[in-house]
Amino acid sequence: MKVWVIRCIVAGVLVGLGFWGWRVFFPSPEEMIRKRLNEIARVASFSSKEGLLAKAWNANALGEFFTLDVQVTIDVPGTQHTISGRDELLQAVVGARAEGGSLSIEFPDIKVVVAPDGNSAVVNLTAKGKVSRQQETYVQELRMRMTRIKRDWLINQVETAKTIS
Amino acid sequence: MITNEDTAQAPHWLQRVLIGRNPKRTFVRMAVLMTICFVVFKFVLVPVHVDGGSMLPTYKANGVNFVNRLSYLSHEPRRGDVVAIGLQAGEHVMYMKRIVGLPGETVAFHKGRIFINGKPLDEPYVKLPCDWEHEPEQVGTDYYYVVGDNRDMPWEDHTHGKAARNYIVGKVLL
Repeated sequence: MKVWVIRCIVAGVLVGLGFWGWRVFFPSPEEMIRKRLNEIARVASFSSKEGLLAKAWNANALGEFFTLDVQVTIDVPGTQHTISGRDELLQAVVGARAEGGSLSIEFPDIKVVVAPDGNSAVVNLTAKGKVSRQQETYVQELRMRMTRIKRDWLINQVETAKTIS
Repeated sequence: MITNEDTAQAPHWLQRVLIGRNPKRTFVRMAVLMTICFVVFKFVLVPVHVDGGSMLPTYKANGVNFVNRLSYLSHEPRRGDVVAIGLQAGEHVMYMKRIVGLPGETVAFHKGRIFINGKPLDEPYVKLPCDWEHEPEQVGTDYYYVVGDNRDMPWEDHTHGKAARNYIVGKVLL
C-alpha cells in the first residue's frame, strides 16, 4: 500500500477521534439538554419493588432537575392543575410514588431550540408512560422552558402541548 | 469423475449457505437490498405499530401498518382518509386518525353523528355506539378535523380535533 494512502487513513482516524473527543468533552447546549432530559426520564421511572428509602431518595433526586420557582401546568382531558414551586412538585411526586405500582417513562422525541444567548431553551418533547397493570401506553406532549444555571440546565416551566386541539 | 482439484475449488457447503458461491456478488446484493430497504422504510412507507383503541374496530391495538409519506404529493388529504399525524417534537410517536372535516368546514356532533356544514356525514366505518354532543366548530384554513373510529369512549378521553396540514405525515396504507 502506498504511503500516502496510509497517511490519509491515519489523518481520517485522527480527525474522527478529535471530533468525537470534542463532542464528548465540550457538548453543545442541545446535547446537554437531551442528556439531562433522558436522566429525568430515568429518575422519574420507578418500579413496584422500590423501597421506601429509595422512593424518597429518587423523588428528591428528581427535584434537582427543576428551579425553585418551577411552574407546571397540566391541562389534559379531565384534569387541569398547576403546580407552583419545587416543594409542591416534590410533594406531588412523592404522593404519586407512594400509591405503589410502577411507572416507566421515556422521551422518544425531543426537539430543542436554544436561545441566541445560550442561556435558555424551549424544549418540545413527547413523553411516553406505561403504568403497571395497564395495557395501554400514555402519550403526552410537553413544552418546557429550561434555564442554564452555571453548568446545569434546569427546568423552570412545564406545560402540556397539543398537536390536535 | 471428481478430481482433487475440483474438490479444492468448490466452496464449503456452509459458505455456500451463508454467503453464496460468489461472496463479492452476495455482498453487493446485500448492500443494494439494505439501501433500498432503508430508503423505502424511512422515506416512503414508514412501518408503525398500532397502540391503543381509538381506531377500533377498523384498527386493533398491537397491529402493524405502514404510513405512505408520498400519498399527498399529488393531492391534498381527503375526507375519510386514515392518516398518521406527527407530534410537535417528532414522528417516533404519531396519532392515527380519520379525516372527517376539511379546511373551512364546520364540524358538529349531535346524538353521536357528525354533521359537516350542518349535514350529517355517512360513516359506515363507525360500528360502535356513540352519544357525543358538540357545538359546531369551524376548521381553519390549512387544518383538518380528525377523529378516531371508536366513538364508544368518553368525549374527553378521545383525542380528536383540528390538526395542521404540516403535521399530517401520510396516509395509512392497509
